[in-house]
Amino acid sequence: MIAGVWQRDTIGWVILAATLPVAGAAFIELGPAALWRGGLVLAVILVWQIVFLFTRAQPLTPIAFVTALSVALLAPGLQDPWQLALAVSFGVVIGEQVFGGWGRNVISAGVATLAFIYFGFPETLHAGTGPLVAAAVLPGGLMLIVTGIVSWQVIVSAVLGLSAVSLALGEDPLAFAVQGSLVFGLIYLVGDPVASAATRGGRWVYGALAGALTALFGWVDIGIDMPQAIVFAALLASLFAPLIDAGAVAVQTASWRRRNG
Amino acid sequence: MKLHFSRGLSIPSGAKPVAMVSEMSRPVQAAILASDFPSIRWQAQIPEGQVVARGEALVRDRKCPDIVLTSPISGRVSEIAIGARRRLQWVTIEPEGDERLDFGPVDGASPEGLRALMLRAGLWPALRTRPFDRIPDPAAEASAVFVTAVDTNPNAADPLLILAGREDEFSRGVRAMELLTQGPVYVCQPAGARLFEPSGRIVAVDVSGPHPAGLPGSHIARLHPATIEKPVWHINYQDVIALGGLLATGEMETFRVIAASGPGMRNPRYLRVPLGVDLHALLRNELTPGQKIILSGSALSGWESRFLCRHHLQASVLEAPRPKRSHWFLAALARAAKPAAFIPTQALEQALGPDLPVVPLLRSLSVGNIEAAEKLGGLGLSEEDMALATYVTGAEIDFGKKLRAVLNELEEGA
Repeated sequence: MIAGVWQRDTIGWVILAATLPVAGAAFIELGPAALWRGGLVLAVILVWQIVFLFTRAQPLTPIAFVTALSVALLAPGLQDPWQLALAVSFGVVIGEQVFGGWGRNVISAGVATLAFIYFGFPETLHAGTGPLVAAAVLPGGLMLIVTGIVSWQVIVSAVLGLSAVSLALGEDPLAFAVQGSLVFGLIYLVGDPVASAATRGGRWVYGALAGALTALFGWVDIGIDMPQAIVFAALLASLFAPLIDAGAVAVQTASWRRRNG
Repeated sequence: MKLHFSRGLSIPSGAKPVAMVSEMSRPVQAAILASDFPSIRWQAQIPEGQVVARGEALVRDRKCPDIVLTSPISGRVSEIAIGARRRLQWVTIEPEGDERLDFGPVDGASPEGLRALMLRAGLWPALRTRPFDRIPDPAAEASAVFVTAVDTNPNAADPLLILAGREDEFSRGVRAMELLTQGPVYVCQPAGARLFEPSGRIVAVDVSGPHPAGLPGSHIARLHPATIEKPVWHINYQDVIALGGLLATGEMETFRVIAASGPGMRNPRYLRVPLGVDLHALLRNELTPGQKIILSGSALSGWESRFLCRHHLQASVLEAPRPKRSHWFLAALARAAKPAAFIPTQALEQALGPDLPVVPLLRSLSVGNIEAAEKLGGLGLSEEDMALATYVTGAEIDFGKKLRAVLNELEEGA
């Protein structure tokens, strides 16, 4: 039997390749400090991946790099190594590995880690990144959308939801486009193919929910230039994703019943 | 009636077979395979070494003795293989002479007569039911019959080419299908084909779109969804031609035209071969140098088999994968690993013919959630419908096998 090449690992490597320009831009914007924090996070993730490889036979994935980059990029304020190590251990083990590794998780490991950081160390201040990172996300993001790894429905509806709620709040609907953290989170956290909704109708609802929540958190609470807005929006939206999918399936099966008696 | 599928994928499949039917250069052995009908226990009717005519019954269903499989060629029974738990596995026939059984005079005008004739001639197993893809009970009635005269598998034979000049037999066979059901008979054909005169309950369906548009599972889901209470039967066009010929002459046509293709074939082309032909013997002189894998069926949904399976109209020759050398430690880790999860990409949305929630269905299959799989529409599917999803996700998980396991559970409960 012939088989395509789009196995889990291939997809992981493609996502990793897509994030490389972002990693470069983050290094320029955040300085060498970002490099050692990213490296530390990556090392901790690898340790946990190896622990689960030996205890639960779960193969390693290159997605570790993407998780490390999102932590380095979206929580630039956190400096203490033990705080980083603790947060990443929580995020990777509870967010991903206990469910069976990448592909079987409910929320992405990056989102779990970042939520842990924001809740666990609330006194740390994080600044968002600027237009350079936003521009660096674009080529990789486009590649992921064209190859179908990131669903275009999710991204389009998230942008629509974000702009619509921004307008409703009387703010600039396109202000998000120059926020590096927000654009990065939109593609790699909200658009994560595993944690997002997976039905045709559900993807639109999920994206719109994530976008609307980002605008709401950003404008009303934290500030649209802060990384927290997109992370909490992604966290809530991916927790609602199974419910959204169940709703979409229920609508579809009800329409079958109507049609077929 | 028009039936267009906008979803679907075209798979890179190499050189298309030349659209000209060639005969076999020499007669080769053929077999009937019990693995084509995994739910049935067969009983051999004829001892090893006996000479049989083409069309003579070789094995009989133990539970339903009316169902028989007949010899595709005239020859000598060379092997009756018995496998685990005394199950019959296959019967091979070495070609010899040219004896044929005449089933005439035929009564093809009454439902009972037609059923008896199809059973006697070994043509009944050409029918399959949805759900489950099994041979129908001879006493049962279908709620609809689908004749599949379109094939979108990669490198499949063109049905119009094979049907050319045999329209009489085909339309006779299609008319006979009306006797098997009180419901409609859908003839799914390439768009624009004029193969027969639609009349009464016979509906011509012009199918268009990329693979899996040509699979019966796709047609059934769109036109007449199958349930356990209302099963749907389907049959392929070459078996319908054989039925038409049987009704006209009383003689059972046991040869089929298959498309032999794949990167390992020197001259990919159409071949006229008996059912259950020995593919290894048939293609031995046709291969390019090097180690090969010979599949019965298409490269997408077929499987490795020495003999042509009953419902396949294709053989594919692939290059055997080179054994990868890896460090013993890494190899051990890889062997211990669970199959990696599949990542739901957009390509999966194109992988199923029926309009189902693909990712939830695949997730339920991959963990063996029977209830969810049934609710999400898994009941109307068969292995070949899942082949594209397996391909798209890199074959880490064989969704066809997972589906069959779920269907087996559902069948026991039904």
